[in-house]
Amino acid sequence: MSNELVLHLVVNGEPARALVPASRTLLELLREDLGLTGTKHGCDVGDCGACTVLVNGLPRLACITVAADCAGEHVDTIEGVAVGGQPSAIQAAFDHHVAAQCGYCTPGFVMTLTHLFTEEPEADEASLRHALGSNICRCTGYVKILAAARDAQARMRNPA
Amino acid sequence: MLPLPRFSWEAPDRLPDLVRLAAEPGARLVAGGTDLLPSMKHRIFRPGTLVSTRRVPELRTLRVGADHSLSLGAALSLRELARHAEVRTHFPSLALALGSVATPTIQGMATLGGNLMLDTRCMYYNQPSGWRAALGGCLKCEGTLCHVAPRGAGCYAAHSADTVPVLMLLGATAVFATPNGELPIAVGELYPEDGREGPRCPPGAVLVRVEVPAPQRAVAFRKLRQRAAIDYGLLLTAVAPTPEGWEAVISAVAPQPIRVAAPTREALADAVHKAVQPLPTHQQASTWRKRMLRVEVARALASLPA
Repeated sequence: MSNELVLHLVVNGEPARALVPASRTLLELLREDLGLTGTKHGCDVGDCGACTVLVNGLPRLACITVAADCAGEHVDTIEGVAVGGQPSAIQAAFDHHVAAQCGYCTPGFVMTLTHLFTEEPEADEASLRHALGSNICRCTGYVKILAAARDAQARMRNPA
Repeated sequence: MLPLPRFSWEAPDRLPDLVRLAAEPGARLVAGGTDLLPSMKHRIFRPGTLVSTRRVPELRTLRVGADHSLSLGAALSLRELARHAEVRTHFPSLALALGSVATPTIQGMATLGGNLMLDTRCMYYNQPSGWRAALGGCLKCEGTLCHVAPRGAGCYAAHSADTVPVLMLLGATAVFATPNGELPIAVGELYPEDGREGPRCPPGAVLVRVEVPAPQRAVAFRKLRQRAAIDYGLLLTAVAPTPEGWEAVISAVAPQPIRVAAPTREALADAVHKAVQPLPTHQQASTWRKRMLRVEVARALASLPA
């Protein structure tokens, strides 16, 4: 029986350690114990994708992931996406295309796309739209998000 | 904020420990958690201990027979299975059903075993605790009245597991581990008539794997829903030829998936329309869902070779 446990995991490439109740979600661990508030707290029940992070490279919804289930795993959040202090191609494209209005969903979209373009650099329009079915944006109407995603994909395939 | 209720956590890495821990009072198995954890946040379930199935090798094993039969570990993710070359090539309807669950992100978390063991769903049940309390609960949870069928005999919450209609037509078997050895149960036998119960898991048993016999016939699958992502099905339709004619399995309409047979391909849509009565367990009108039964069967048949 483990009501409270010491968790060791690797967050954005750095070892992290926290003493948490077993009922802690990964989202609570990241935001409240580790102070990484870039991952957003949206619907709380796995519908909206705002809390998307990567666990061992795969997208996971942090709000419905038990933190203890990630013991020993590699977790990547929006805070770890920048490359050498510069925004990643996806972040830069979101900025360039103004692909955010309130911006609350943006970290989730960036993490979903980070995984998609790593796994499937040649993803076609159908794959792109399918992957973005995991995330909800209530402001933009998705047009600029799709434009930013296509642009980021082109830049990642042909770095200037 | 919807915090999880307090529980303790176990993540055994041996099957005997998983079976032992699952049988302890207040324990509940969790795999991907994509349905269980939202329900716990809504205070539908308050298990004292969550026992994770994810570290047990037997539940993460995929075996392919020389005849292309499959043995699929219950804790394999829907994503892994939907992308597996053998599944895609020899069981395209299963790949389609796996890939129709919720969203791509959820498919990477959710498991086959979790999908088979999915609780029944209803618009009066899968709601936050305050919402449910305002109606005084329902027959399935915290109350005595079914809001779907107040004069009915039981709970009509809908079986909603996308993979099950296809698995039934493929003749799949769920294999459980118990303290007394393995217990195989045909997938179609897992779902009781009353929606209160949810899937039948024998006491102290753990779903270890799903066995799919060698492919014998083409199966077609369709999921009717409002949006192409996230939504649970409004109708789940699987159809296939049989030696005597044709059959369909329809779900998302009752606590059990409903099997309907017809002598000819042309007669199947009418037979389904006659046998299946969707109830107002969903926000969409059940009269419309009833009309869509014929359409969905016709669309499923049209996706099969003539």
